[in-house]
Parts: sequence; C-alpha cells; structure tokens
Amino acid sequence: MNLDLVATGTAAAVVAAATLRAATPILFASLGGLISELAGCINVALEGVMLVAAFAGVITSAYSTLWFPDAPLWLHPWLGCAAGLLAGTALAGLLAVFHLELGADLIVAGIGLNILAQGLTVLLMAHLTGDKGSTASLASFALPSLRWPGIGAVPVLGVLLNGDEDTGHNVLVYVAMAATGLIAWALRHTVFGLRLRATGENAEAALAAGLPVRRLRYAGLLLSGLLASGGGVFLGMGYLTLFQADMAAGRGYLALAAVFLGGRRPLGTVVAALVFGAASVTAARLGQLAVPAEVVFMIPPLVTIAALVLVKQHQRLATRRRAAAGRAALLSP
Amino acid sequence: MTVAPLAIALEDVEKRYPNGTLANSGVSFTVAAGEIHALVGENGAGKSTVMKMLYGLERPTAGALRIHGLLADFRHPGDAIAAGVGLVAQHLNLVPSLTVAENVVLGHEPRKPGGRLDRVAAAARVRELVGQSGLAVDPAATVASLPVGVRQRVEILKVLHRGARIILLDEPTAVLTPPETATLFATLRHLAAAGHTVLVITHKLDEVKALAGGVTVLCQGRVTGNARMADVNEGTLARLMVGRDLPPPPPRRPAGARLAPRVIARDLGYVDGDGAIRLRDVGFEVAPGEILGIAGVEGNGQDVLARLLSGAAVPTTGDARLDGRVFTGLSPRAARSLGVAVVTEDRLHDGAAPTLSIVDNLLATRYAQPPLSRRGLIDRGTARRWAEAVIAGFDVRATGPHQPIGALSGGNMQKLILAREIADAPAFLVASQPTRGVDIAAAAALHTRLVALRDQGAAILLISADLDELLVLSDRIAVLYRGRIVARFEAGAVDARTLGLHMTGLGPEPKGGDHD
Amino acid sequence: MTEGARIALAVGAALALGFLVMACVTDQPWAAFRALVTGPLPSMERAADGRLVMHRLVRFGAWLQDATTLTLVGLAIAIPFRARQFSLGADGQLFMGALAAAALSLGLGDVPAAIALPLAFLAAAMAGAAWGLAAGLLKTRFEANEIVTTLMLNVVAVQVYRLIVGRVLNDPTAGFITTPPLPGAATLGPLIARTNVTAMVLVAPAAVAAVVFLLRRTTLGYEIDLAGANPWFAARAGVPVARATVLAFALGGAFAGLAGFHVSNALLKRLPVDLTPGMGLEGIVVALLARGRVAALPLAALGYAYLRVGAQAMERATDVPREVVLVIQALIILFVVSDRLAPLALGSLRRVWMRIGRTA
Repeated sequence: MNLDLVATGTAAAVVAAATLRAATPILFASLGGLISELAGCINVALEGVMLVAAFAGVITSAYSTLWFPDAPLWLHPWLGCAAGLLAGTALAGLLAVFHLELGADLIVAGIGLNILAQGLTVLLMAHLTGDKGSTASLASFALPSLRWPGIGAVPVLGVLLNGDEDTGHNVLVYVAMAATGLIAWALRHTVFGLRLRATGENAEAALAAGLPVRRLRYAGLLLSGLLASGGGVFLGMGYLTLFQADMAAGRGYLALAAVFLGGRRPLGTVVAALVFGAASVTAARLGQLAVPAEVVFMIPPLVTIAALVLVKQHQRLATRRRAAAGRAALLSP
Repeated sequence: MTVAPLAIALEDVEKRYPNGTLANSGVSFTVAAGEIHALVGENGAGKSTVMKMLYGLERPTAGALRIHGLLADFRHPGDAIAAGVGLVAQHLNLVPSLTVAENVVLGHEPRKPGGRLDRVAAAARVRELVGQSGLAVDPAATVASLPVGVRQRVEILKVLHRGARIILLDEPTAVLTPPETATLFATLRHLAAAGHTVLVITHKLDEVKALAGGVTVLCQGRVTGNARMADVNEGTLARLMVGRDLPPPPPRRPAGARLAPRVIARDLGYVDGDGAIRLRDVGFEVAPGEILGIAGVEGNGQDVLARLLSGAAVPTTGDARLDGRVFTGLSPRAARSLGVAVVTEDRLHDGAAPTLSIVDNLLATRYAQPPLSRRGLIDRGTARRWAEAVIAGFDVRATGPHQPIGALSGGNMQKLILAREIADAPAFLVASQPTRGVDIAAAAALHTRLVALRDQGAAILLISADLDELLVLSDRIAVLYRGRIVARFEAGAVDARTLGLHMTGLGPEPKGGDHD
Repeated sequence: MTEGARIALAVGAALALGFLVMACVTDQPWAAFRALVTGPLPSMERAADGRLVMHRLVRFGAWLQDATTLTLVGLAIAIPFRARQFSLGADGQLFMGALAAAALSLGLGDVPAAIALPLAFLAAAMAGAAWGLAAGLLKTRFEANEIVTTLMLNVVAVQVYRLIVGRVLNDPTAGFITTPPLPGAATLGPLIARTNVTAMVLVAPAAVAAVVFLLRRTTLGYEIDLAGANPWFAARAGVPVARATVLAFALGGAFAGLAGFHVSNALLKRLPVDLTPGMGLEGIVVALLARGRVAALPLAALGYAYLRVGAQAMERATDVPREVVLVIQALIILFVVSDRLAPLALGSLRRVWMRIGRTA
C-alpha cells in the first residue's frame, strides 16, 4: 500500500475524529434548539442548560463515591449523567414555566436563565470546592468510551473509529449520532412530529384542531433541554473530565446559529453543527502553528457570520434564477 | 317534550373580557337539529364571540350553553370537538406547509404502531370524506399551493373528519366568488339534509335569505331579533342589525364627457421569487374624476397590482405614468412624492401600526414635510392639532389623539387611514378593500369620502372583493383573473352575476390576450 | 398596579431569593446581606475638630462610575430595541470603543487636552458605531438574525482587542500585559477626590436627554419607532426602514463606544488585556428595568449599579462570592419580564390573607 496515501488518510481521519468530538456538544444542543424552534419556541437558554448539566453531572459523579461507597465503580459516571440530564432539563422546564405560565418573553427569559446558570454554577462550585475556576480538585468520572475491537491496526479506519489514541469515542458521541437519526425520523413520520411542527408553524390552527398547544410547547422545550443536557454532560464527562466556569463557552449560542443556518431542518442543522465543530478543530490546529491564539479564536464566529451571509446569498441566487425563468416565460408570448 | 330536539341552546349568555369590554349580554337563542341557522349582525355586534364560546376558544362569564341538551362547559376546542362541534373560522386555520390530508387529520390522526402517522390511511380517509360531502380536493396537495376557496373545503373536511354534528361557519363567503358561494351553499344544504346542524355567521342578508331556515340578529352584543326566515324580509333584518335606517348610497358621478387619462398603465407584468407569473399584460387608463374598479377573486393578482402601483414592488415588465411621469419601479416614497396614495388591503398588517397612537399613525406618510416637520424636527403641536381635526372631521370614535390606533374598531381605524392617505389631495389613489370588515355606517362614510375625492379630480383605482361596492362606486370595472385583465365593462352595463362569471374564468369571451 | 411598583416588587423578590441563596453558601448570611445592601453608601463621622468627614468615598464613587457605564450600555440596548432589534452587541462595541480611544490617545502623544479628549471621545463613539453598523447591515442586507450576529461580533471584538493590546500596544515595562498609561492630557480628572467620578457622570444623563429628544422630536427618531412598531406598514408609508434600523444599531453602538471611552480614559487610564467582557449583558438588565423607556435608564442604572457595587463590598467582607449578584440579576430579569407573575402572586397572597381572616 502507498505509504503517503495511508499517512494522508490517517491525518484526515484524525481531523474527522476530532471534528466529531468537537461537534458532539454543539450537535446535541442544536438538535434541542431545532425541536423547540419547530414547536415555535426559540430556546436561547441552551447555553445555560449545558452549563447546569455539565456541572450537575460532574459534581454528582464525584460525590456519588462518597454517598454510595459500596456501589460498583462503573455506576458513578452514570449517576452523574442522569443528574446532569435531569438538572439541564429542569432548567429548560423553568424556561417553559416562565414563558408559558407567567408570560415572560422567551428570549429575555432565556438570557436570564443563562445568567442564572452562570452564577449558580460558579457559586456552588466555590462553595463545594473553594475554587471559582474549575473542579480539578474533585475526582469526577468520565462516561465510558466505546472501542471497536480488532480494528486498532487497520490503517485510517482504526483512527477514524477509535480515535488517534485508540481509546474509542465516548459513548455520548454515538448517542448524539443516534439521536440525530431518531429525531429526523420522528419529526417526519410520527404523529408527535406532525403535531409539533403544526404547533410551531401555525399555533392558532393547531389550537383550532384541538391540539394541546401548551403541552406541545412544554414537550418541545423540555426535549430541547434534555438534548442540550446531553451536550453539557459530554462537555464535563467526556470532552473533559471536570467542570470549568463558563464551560459551555458560547456553544449554546453556536447551536442556535446552527439551527438558523440549517434552515430549521434536521439535516441542515447537523451539517451546520459539524461545520462549527470543524471550525474549532481547525482553530486548534492553526494554534499549533505560529498563528496568534486571538486570530484562531476569531475563526468560529467569523465562520458563523460568513455562513449566514452565504446562505442568504445562495437563497438569493436561487430566487433570481427562478425569477429569470419566470421572466423568460412572461416575455415569451 | 319538544318536537324537534335542540342542537344548540344559549341561555342568557354573557361574555365580559378581562379588560372590561362586554362582548355579549343576555344572549339566548336555539337551533334545532338539522337546521341551517344564520347569526347576523354588524361588525362588533358579538357574533364571533358567540362562535368562540361554542367552540371552546372563549368561556362565557355568565349563562349557559347547551349542546344536544347537555350543559357544555368547554375549556378548549378539544372539549368542543369531543361534543361534536366543529368550527370553520373566518381566517382559515390551516398549516401551510402540510398536505391536505395531514391538515384534515391533525389532532385525530390514524396511527401505525410506534406512534407513527399512517399517511396512507389519512389519504384514504380524506377521499372517503370527499366522496360523502362532494367537496373536491386532492389529499396530497400542499395547502400553501391551494386557492382560498379550496382551503375552505379543507376546513370543512377537517370538521367532518372529527365527526362533528354541529358545524359553525364564521363569514364563510367573505373570500369566495359567487359560483364558489353557490357550491358552498349546496354543500351545506346537503350536510343539513344528512342531519348536520349548521350555524353560519354572515352580514350579507341575501345569503341569509338564500340559505337559512332561522335567523338570529345581534346588535351591540344583544339579541335584537329572532325569526323563521319565512316570516321576515331583508329590510326588517337590516333595521334590526343597525338599529336605525341605512344611509342612502352616495350619488353616482354625473355623466359627462370623459377627460384625457391621468394615469396610464401599460403592459404591467410581475414575476415573483418563485418564478411564478403573478401579473401579465395589465394595461388601463384612469381619467381625473374617475373610479376604475378592479374585480377579482383574492389571489388573482390584485395584491401585486396594488404593490406595483404604490412603489412597494418593481414591475418585471411595463410601467405606469401619472400625468406623464413614470411612478412605478421607484420606491414607496418616490411614488408618494409624485402624488400617489395607497390604502392597503390589510390595515393591521401594513396599513397602520396598531401599538402607536393615532397621531403617530397619521404622521407616517407626511412626517418628513412641512408643516409637520422642519429640518428633521417634528412639530408635535401641529401634529396633534391635525389629528384632533381629523378625529372630529371624520367622526372617529376615539378617546383622543394619543389613543393607540389598535384600540379602535375597524371602521374608525379605516377612517383614519383614509384621512391620512387623502390629506395631501393625491392625484391617484389606489384603494384596496377599503371597507373590508367595516360596519355598514362606517362603510357608507368611507364611500362618501372616496366619491368626494373623485369629484375633486383625483383618479382612483378601487380594488375590492365586494361586488356591490364596485358596482355602486365605479365608473368602469375591469376583471382580473390569473393575473390578467379578462374583461372590461362600463359600470352601468354589468351586473354582479356577469362579473362573477368572469372572475372565475367562465366569461363568455375567449380567454387569453386576444383583442376584439 | 403601576409599572414602577411592579418592578420594585420584582427586585424585592429577587433580593429575597438571593438572600436565600446566600444563606445556603455561607453561615453569616446577615452580614453578607448587610454588606450587599449598604456597601455603596459613604459613612459620615464627626471628626475631632467638629467637621463632617465622609468615609468610604471610593465605593460611593464606584457606584456613580458603574452607573455611568451602565447608562451608556443601556442606551446601546434600548435604542436598537426601539426598532425591535434585539442587539446583544454592547459588549463588542464597548471593547472597540475603549480600544479606539486608548489607541488614539497613545498615538497622539503629547497634545493639549482640548485636542486629545474630544478626539478620543469621537474615536470611541465612531468605533462603537461602526461595530453596531456591522450588525445592522448584516440584518438589513442579509437578514442575519441579530441575536446571533451581535454575539459573534462580540467574540471577534474581544479577540481583536486582545490581539492589539497584547501585541501592538503592549507596554513591556509593566508587570502584566497592558497598554502603557494614557497621556494625562487624554484622561479625565476626578470630580470627587479619591474616586474616578469624572465629567462622564454628567455626559451619561446628557446622552439620555439627547436620545429622548431624538426619539420624540426628530424625523429619524420617528422613523426608528415606526420601523419597530410595524416595519411592513412603515415601508408602505415610504419610511426608509432599512436605513432607520441600521442607524438605530449604529447609534446604540456609539453609546456603547462611549462607555468604552469611559472605561479607558476615565476609569482605568490604561487598558489591560484581560478587561472582563459581560458589560453588554448588564446593559440588557438596565434596559429591561427601564422597560424600554429611555428616560428611565439613568434611574435603572443607578439602582442596578448599587447592587453590583454592594456585591463587591460583600465579597470583600464575607466569604460569599460576588457571583451571587449574577443570580440576583438573573432573578430580576426573570421576574421583571414575567408579566403574569405579580398579579398571580398578589392574587394568591390575597386569597391566603382572606382565608386567614375568615378563620381568625
């Protein structure tokens, strides 16, 4: 086999695996953002949900060893995972209550909850660990990685499927992929998906058709909380194995951008999330070269803005093409 | 023991909104099973509120509703649907991106295991309902692609799919052509014969006469009349509705020599962003002191024509001139500065800013010129005095010039909009649906103003779905069908029936652009 | 219930809940709460010679300084909001404003204050306006969601700031990464001794007054209002909607830029690389507390700055981290925007009250 080819392929596989890893939290959150957006509720609190989920996951997995000293070791990360999902979903539930019951503006309430999440996590972290920066002093757990046996030696594929350190991908990376397929399918083919989309597109029509609009919106927001929590748990118990202040680092907002960028469709959203993942990997790679870190950090936001502009330009060109065809038809007698 | 079982009974129903508005008070009437009953009254008389209460969208603050003899306390539409009540709302409530079948079954979907939607069964169900009711629609079509008349059929199918025995229709003919109306009435009679009860809201008395067996008249939230159709005539009903005698129609223009045209449009064509041809080969002339009426079913290019003529869209072909100067293809502001004014079709959407005050709404077209502003500074005192003069002069019911315009009734809002548009004595006024959803008295006042503007020498293009309005006001009438002018008439030489035929493409002349 | 009472109630409830949170993380919650509530006030004492002496003026000054910045960033949120644009970009605009003011001040070197100050002031306003203009153009030209673009522009601005402060304007003699101190002629002197309360404390209310006048009395202000109230109607009426929207963004940006000028040329007098972002979000709180009424911004800013300075006092006096103020801030936001909360709470309170009355 041509060694250059293998080397190139391996390098590409390393980048692809890293992209997948970097994209996973954004992917989770953007799927969540998509679901609530389709239910007619923009979820700006994705960022806060991720933070809270990461924090609850990390703290619970660490404290679980104190609370249940006799439990088997493999249980602690899963308890953390459950707590993270629960906490994040609860925050989304809070958003739903404030918006649907108390009449709060969805965007402002979302921003409020993000601030709440930021404050509460740091406050509690400082209280529990005496450190306002990270939980490095706690022994928290990571969720297990899935390693495909027997392909470590296979060039390219081995790196792609098991990562460059041959440890395999975190189980949540696979969950994210499965969730993507499941959600795309469910939105299109289930009664729930139909009702959710109807609610988001024309709430008045959904109400007149006898649909429980409020309950559907609760469902949309809670599901979006659950999914974004998956992203948060991955950040604290997969991507890293600790919690840091402001750990979500804008990924929740990026996820929201991915939903808009993807035209509010599952496939588009996933592609946009992967693009953001790739942008951050590229940024990290450039950082290893002599490019200043500040420039590197500008890449993801600039990519987002450029993508929004390009998508619009693309739509415009398509419109212009269609209009030109219509114009030709109009001018021909 | 009653002879005919009652399908609907209202007993002293009252509805007071949280803000204190009393929409209904002491409303009592009954509808027998299998009857077609009409609920008539002016806008704001409380008809829609009755419908909403019957469908669980609002709850009465006092009194009781009975459906088939049972006390009905509907908390939301789901309860009403379960009790066999279905509503075809005035603003059609469909989800545009879904198919006909999906819209029909929404809320009561046939399922496959695993919570999956059974699309095949849904389509079959729609075909079955189409067979039973005679309402022709394609179950696989996307609702967004359907004309309004067909969408309404989808609404009725939706109601039938839920097994409704009582069908409520809120102003169902407002968006229909005469032939479509006839089809709808046939369907409703067919459904009533099959045992359905139909309650229909309308303010068109000829329709009541043609369709209903019984009628209830509402005026200012109360029942002012209740009769079998056989026992009353239209004049009696009209008096019951308005509470007084109707004003006479405005005088027709004295016949005279036609002047040279002031507005000349030629060859106007428009292609939208989807590449669809929305308007083609449209040409017309309007003389000073003349009203040209444009008839047509909604969605046949009237909205596009109004947008082109007011500078809100750029024509793909052709242009229009006012006193020799091209005013299309520029901008709304440029068109206005050349003497064009526009009353838009949907006043809440692009005719006013409901949250802003009357003053701010009146300012919108004139704020940038003296005497209302100088060197970028608005003269608030002058603006307020002008608003007060308009409120008095146009008999607008408002608490003052700073009241939000959205708090006014449709008629009062429309008076202010017309006042704003004619304030600068425009040379050319494009008026789209100027009296839609406006009560009879306000409509008469608006008509008088339009005629007065005409008599001052303005050219007016009147776009309306209300054929009576067109026939009364216009000097000439052109019919738009699928983006073309398919027929032209002198106003005195045509009736509503002929216009209706042309509006649906069934006119006697050959279709297409042939000239005679 | 009046709007003011509603907001007072919301703030009171948020403070009460904040106290509960404090009680969870410290065993001296009362001391912490007292520090929070009285922190910004100066204390007066009668000195030996019988004169009144003010103590803790530094914190009192900090209160006014903070309120000045907050008023300006509040304008940066409130003006685009009049055009119904949800700009979250005050942060980036502030950083660009600060950077421009500092760079110009350093670049001019030794010139009289009469030249340096106005130029730095203008540079800050223009830099902020340019950053706002970018978001406005992205919105009107490309329909790019302004929430997303302003957040992204914030990130870019902070990185541009760090790049230039760290690599271009860096003062190698300082012990940390920062610009050299700005020339004295370019900085504002204090109005109150031992504080950084400068003329900017008067500029902020003047700016508010100017904006109130602009919105109420000028054609541009009217255009912004109409474009926000109903853009479709505004367009049909002949109002240049896109221009008004873009100008609202730019105008808002100019005031955030001035907040940057306040930070660089009045408060810090040099720019450290790790200037903390987040002031823009505080601007949202202020705009929210003012309920979109520009004239109420200074009052809202004073109230909110009081809380922030109190939190710093609390952190110094006790073991409660100042992040507790984030929690209180979030609760204020949530309670203020929940229109149905106050009637609901008061209603149930009344019911409980009546039940007590009946049983008694």
